[in-house]
Amino acid sequence: MQLKLTNRTIVFLFAFFCGLGTGVLRAADNAADSTQREKELIAVLRSDAPAAEKALACKHLAVHGSSAAVADLAPLLSNEQLASWARIPLEVIPGPAADEALRKAIDNLNGNLLVGAINSIGVRRDAAAVGALAARLKHEDVEVASASAVALGRIGNDAASGALRAALKTADAKVRSAVAEGCVLCAEQRLLGGRQAEAADIYDEVRKSDVPKQRVLEAMRGAILARGKDGVELLVEQLRSRDKLLFQIALGTAREMAGDQIDKALADELPKAKPERAALLIAAMADRKETVQLPAILKAAADGDKAVRMAALQALGRVGNASCLAALLEVATQEDADLAQAAKGALTDLTGDAVNQEIIARLAKPDGKSYPVLLQLVGSRRVAAESALIKALDHADKNIRSAALVSLGATVSADKLPVLIGQVVSPKNAADSAVAQKALKEACVRMPDRDACADLLSAAMAKAPAGTKPVLLEILGAVGGGNALKSIAASAKSNDPQLQDTGSRLLGEWMTIDAAPVLLDLAKTAPGEKYQVRALRGYLRIARQFVMADAQRAEMCEKALDAARNSTEQKLVVEILKRYPSVDTLKVAVKAAQIQEVKEEAVQAATVIAQKLTTKSDAVRELIEKIGVAKVKLEIVKAEYGAGSTLKDVTAIVKKNAGDSLLIALDSPSFNTSFGDPTPGVTKQLKIQFKVNGKSGEAAFNENELILLPMPK
Amino acid sequence: MSKQPKSLHRRRFLNTSLAAVGTGIALPTIIPSSALGLDGAVPPSERIVVGGIGIGNRGTYDLGCFLEQKDVQFAAVCDAKEARRVAVKKIADDKYGNQNCKMYRDFRELLDRSDIDAVLIATGPNWHCTASMYAAKAGKDIYCEKPCTKNVAQSLILKDTIRRTGRVFQAGTQRRNLPHFAFACELARTGKLGKLTRVYAHPAGMQAMTSGWLAPEPEPDKNVVDWNMYLGPAAWRPFNPKLLDGFNFEKGGGLVGGGVLEWGSHCVDLCQWAVNDVLPPVEYNAPKDGQLVARYADGVELVFRETGWIPLGSCPVRFEGANGWVEAGDSGKLVLSSPELLAGRTVAEIDGYPATFHVRDFLDCVKSRSQPKGNAEAACNAHIACHAANIALYLNRQVKFDPVTNEFVGDEHANRLRSEALREPWRL
Repeated sequence: MQLKLTNRTIVFLFAFFCGLGTGVLRAADNAADSTQREKELIAVLRSDAPAAEKALACKHLAVHGSSAAVADLAPLLSNEQLASWARIPLEVIPGPAADEALRKAIDNLNGNLLVGAINSIGVRRDAAAVGALAARLKHEDVEVASASAVALGRIGNDAASGALRAALKTADAKVRSAVAEGCVLCAEQRLLGGRQAEAADIYDEVRKSDVPKQRVLEAMRGAILARGKDGVELLVEQLRSRDKLLFQIALGTAREMAGDQIDKALADELPKAKPERAALLIAAMADRKETVQLPAILKAAADGDKAVRMAALQALGRVGNASCLAALLEVATQEDADLAQAAKGALTDLTGDAVNQEIIARLAKPDGKSYPVLLQLVGSRRVAAESALIKALDHADKNIRSAALVSLGATVSADKLPVLIGQVVSPKNAADSAVAQKALKEACVRMPDRDACADLLSAAMAKAPAGTKPVLLEILGAVGGGNALKSIAASAKSNDPQLQDTGSRLLGEWMTIDAAPVLLDLAKTAPGEKYQVRALRGYLRIARQFVMADAQRAEMCEKALDAARNSTEQKLVVEILKRYPSVDTLKVAVKAAQIQEVKEEAVQAATVIAQKLTTKSDAVRELIEKIGVAKVKLEIVKAEYGAGSTLKDVTAIVKKNAGDSLLIALDSPSFNTSFGDPTPGVTKQLKIQFKVNGKSGEAAFNENELILLPMPK
Repeated sequence: MSKQPKSLHRRRFLNTSLAAVGTGIALPTIIPSSALGLDGAVPPSERIVVGGIGIGNRGTYDLGCFLEQKDVQFAAVCDAKEARRVAVKKIADDKYGNQNCKMYRDFRELLDRSDIDAVLIATGPNWHCTASMYAAKAGKDIYCEKPCTKNVAQSLILKDTIRRTGRVFQAGTQRRNLPHFAFACELARTGKLGKLTRVYAHPAGMQAMTSGWLAPEPEPDKNVVDWNMYLGPAAWRPFNPKLLDGFNFEKGGGLVGGGVLEWGSHCVDLCQWAVNDVLPPVEYNAPKDGQLVARYADGVELVFRETGWIPLGSCPVRFEGANGWVEAGDSGKLVLSSPELLAGRTVAEIDGYPATFHVRDFLDCVKSRSQPKGNAEAACNAHIACHAANIALYLNRQVKFDPVTNEFVGDEHANRLRSEALREPWRL
C-alpha cells in the first residue's frame, strides 16, 4: 500500500537527513501535536518509503507513538534491518499493546531477532511474559536462553525468581552464568524491598553453585550485605581467604557497610594480615572515616613493615586528628626520607583546630629535631603564628630561617608584610634572598587589598638596590590591580633598560582589559621601538582574547590600526576583526580595506564577517557593497526558492543577477518580490548550487538575507 | 574525542605533589615500589594486566599513560578495525620487546581471558556503556573514555552494575585529577566562596545531533572492518565509510547529544564535583541567548554557556558563591575573585589536561578496591545532568527531573527519551 506523504511529513523528515551525515536537531514538542505526528509517522511505516525513512520514523515514534502505532511496528520485529529501530518505540510506548506485541513476536522469531525481543521484554519488565521466558531457559540457542534468564532477573517477581533458582541447578553450563546473573538481580530487588532473608538465601544459592567466579563474587558481596550486622563473620572469612578475588570483594564490600563492628573487624585483622594485605586493609579502614579505629592505624604507622607504615601514615593524614600529632612528629624527624615525608604530608592534612593549637604550643618550647618541621607545618597548615616565625628569622641555622620564610610567605598578614619586604630589600643573610623573594611573592598575591600591597611594593622599589627592583616589579605583576598597573607602566617608561624590559613584558601578559590604554600609550611612546612593538602586540592580545562588547573590540582594533607601523601589524588587526564578526568589526574592516598594503586581507575579512552575520541589515549590505568583494569566476548551477517539497526554480533570475563576485544583488531586497511567493505564509529558503573558479558549492539563505556565497572548500 | 594533550612526565607531577596535597589530590594509596627499595621494578605477580578495547586516537593517548606505569602489563587489544589492532599491537610489542600482545575482533573473547584484570575502553561513545557492562560482568575493572553513557537509563544501570559486580570504574574525566581544577572545586565544595549560587560549564556546541543512515556502500571484509561489531548496540544501518570515525551513532540517546554531552561529561562533571557530587539538577530550562540554565534542589544554578569565559583554554568552568568566584580552564591556570582565596597555597599549573594522574588513580584503586575520582556514581550524576539538559534542548522547553525516582515529573515525552533499545543481541 502506497500512501502519499504530506509536505509537512517531508519537511519533518528532511530535518533528520539534512547533510550527508550528522544532522542537527531541535524539535519543539507540542503535546497536542503528537497525535498528528504519530499519524504521519505511521503513514511513513505503511508507505513504500525507503528503509532509512522508516527507521527515523520509528525513532520519532519513541516520542510521539502510542498503542495506535504498535500494530505497524510489530511486523518490523522480523525485519533484520528495521527490528532494532522498531524496538526503540516498542520499549517505551506505555500500555499493554507493546507488551503483547513483543510477547507474540517471541513465538515467531529466531536467533538475534528473538534475543532482541526478549531483551526488550526485560527492559519493560513484563510480568506476563515470565512463563514464556522460563520456558526458554532450556532453549537450544544459548543466547536465547541467556537473554531469557537476564530478562527474568529484571522482572524479578516471585515467579521469575522461582524459575531462575530452579534453573540454577538444572541449566546448561553455558547458560548458568546468565541464570546466576538473573538470580542476583532478583536477590537485589528483594534486598532493596526489605526481604533480606530471602535475598540472602538466593545469594547463598548462587555463590555455592557451579557458576563463573565473577558470579560467585557478586553473590558473596550480596550475601554479606543482606545479612547486615550478621554479615561480619562472612566478611572476615573472605578477608582471610587465600583467594585474592574473594579478599578483594571483601575489601570493597567492607566500604559499603555501616556500623563500627566493621571497623573493629578490620582492626582485628590488621595485625594478622601479611604486609601486602595489611596495607590494603588500612586503605579500606581509612575509607570509613566516621567510625575508623585510629589506634590500630597509629600502631601500624609506628613500626614494622615499611609498606604498611607508609600506608598507615597516608591514612592518618586522611582520617587522623590531634591525638596523632606526637606520633607523626616522631616519624617526621626520622632518617628514612620516605617515611619522614609521608609523616609530614599527614601532619599537613590532619584536620581540626586542635592540631593547630598543639603546633603553636610546641613551637613555644621547640626541641631541635622537631623545630623545622613545626615551622614548616605553620605554613603548610596556614597556622596563625607570625611571631614565632619572625623570631625564627634570626636563628643561626639557615634551614630554620628558610622554613620560617616559606611559612611567612604562606601566612603573613598585611600588617606584617613589611617584615617580608625587608627580608627581600635588605636581607640579613644573603643566602636567604631567593627563599625570601619567593615567599614575598606568595604572600603578596594573596593580600586582600592588592592596591595597598602594590603601594607598599612600589615604595620599597624606590629604595631598593638596582638588582632587586626587577624582582619587586615581577611581584607587582603577579599582584595585579590598578595601582600595580600604574607602577609597572611607569617602570616601562623609565630610563632603566632592565625595568623597561620587565615592565613591558609584564604589561603584555596582563590579565585584565584595563591594561589596554596603557599598552596603546606605550605602543606610541615607549623608549625604544622594541618595546613599542611589544606593547602593540600586548594590546592586540587583549583585543583578540578577552571578553568585551563588540563595539569595544572594534574600537580597540581601529585604534590599533592607527597605531600600527607596518603591514604585518595591520594584518594582525585584520585577523582579529575576522575572528569576531559584528557590524562594528565590519566597519573597521571596510576602513582597513582603504589601506593598500592590507586591502586584500581586509576585503577577505569583511567578506567572512558578512557571511557569518546572521542578521544582514541594510547597513551590512551597504558596507559590503562599499568595498566590493573579491572578483571570482561564478557560475550559477541551480537555484530554488520555497519550503519543503514546494520549491520554485529561480535559476534564471539568480543567474541574471549574478556577476563576478560572491555577492549577488537582486532587483529587490525582498525575495518574494524578486522570485514570487511559492508558499504564502510559510518560512522559505533560497538554495543555490554554484561553482566558483570551477569548484562546486551550495548555500541556503533565509528569506531576504544578504546573498553572499561562501567560497567552496 | 578530545584532542591529545601534551605529554607530561610523572616526575613533574610528583615534584608538585606537596602542593597538590592541599588541592584534593591525594597521594597514591599504593606505595610506589621505588619507596620500598625495589628501584621501581614491579614483580610480574603484582602487575595489573590490561586489555584495550577500541583503541583509536584518544585510546592511543590513554594507552601511553597506561604504558608509562611500571605496574601495568598491556596484554591484548580488540578493535573492529584491523589497522588499529595491528598499530596497537606494535606499540605494546615495541614497549615490551616481544610479540605477546594478542589481537581480537570481538571484545568478548578478550574479556574471556582470566589473566586480564582491567580494560581500557576507548571505542566511540556508542559502545562505551555496553562494553563497560560486559566488562564488569566478566569481572574486569574498567577505565572508560567519556561520554560513558548515551542516556539517563544507561547512566543508572552502569552505576548499579558497577556496584553489584564490585568492580572499579574510572570514567575518562581526567580533569578530576588535575590540581587546579581540584582546587577550584574544593573552594566551592568547602564553602570558601560562601554560599554557592552558580556553577558554569562550557558545552561548546549546544545542539542535538543524530548520525545519518547513509547510502550503502560495499561492506569491507570483516577482518578489515567488522561493520557488525562497529555498529554494535546502535540501530542497524548499512555500511558507509563516512560513518567510521567521528560518527558516534546518536551518542545522546538517539535524538540528542552534541557538545552538551561531549564536553559536558568533563565540565559538568567538574561542576558536579564543585557541588559535592550531589544528585543532578532538578530543573532544566530551554536554551536562551546561548545559555541553558539548570537548577539543583538547593537552588544552586548550573549554567551551560557558550561565551563569556575568561581566556583560560578549553573546558572552562566557573563557580560563584556569595563571597567570591573562581574560574579555571585547560591552560592549567586559575583566576580568583580575590587572592585571599589562595590562602597561601601554591596550586600546580599543569596544562594540556594529561590523563596520567587519572590513570594512576585508577590503577591504585584497582589494587586497593577504593573508589577512584571518576567513579561510576559521580560519572552517572554528571552524565544524567547532561542528558537531561539535552532533552530540554531537544524539546526546547523546561523539563523537571526527580533525581530520586529518576523520572521527569509529569512529562511523558521527556521520560521516553531517558532510554533507547539496543540492537540485538546486545543488552545491558
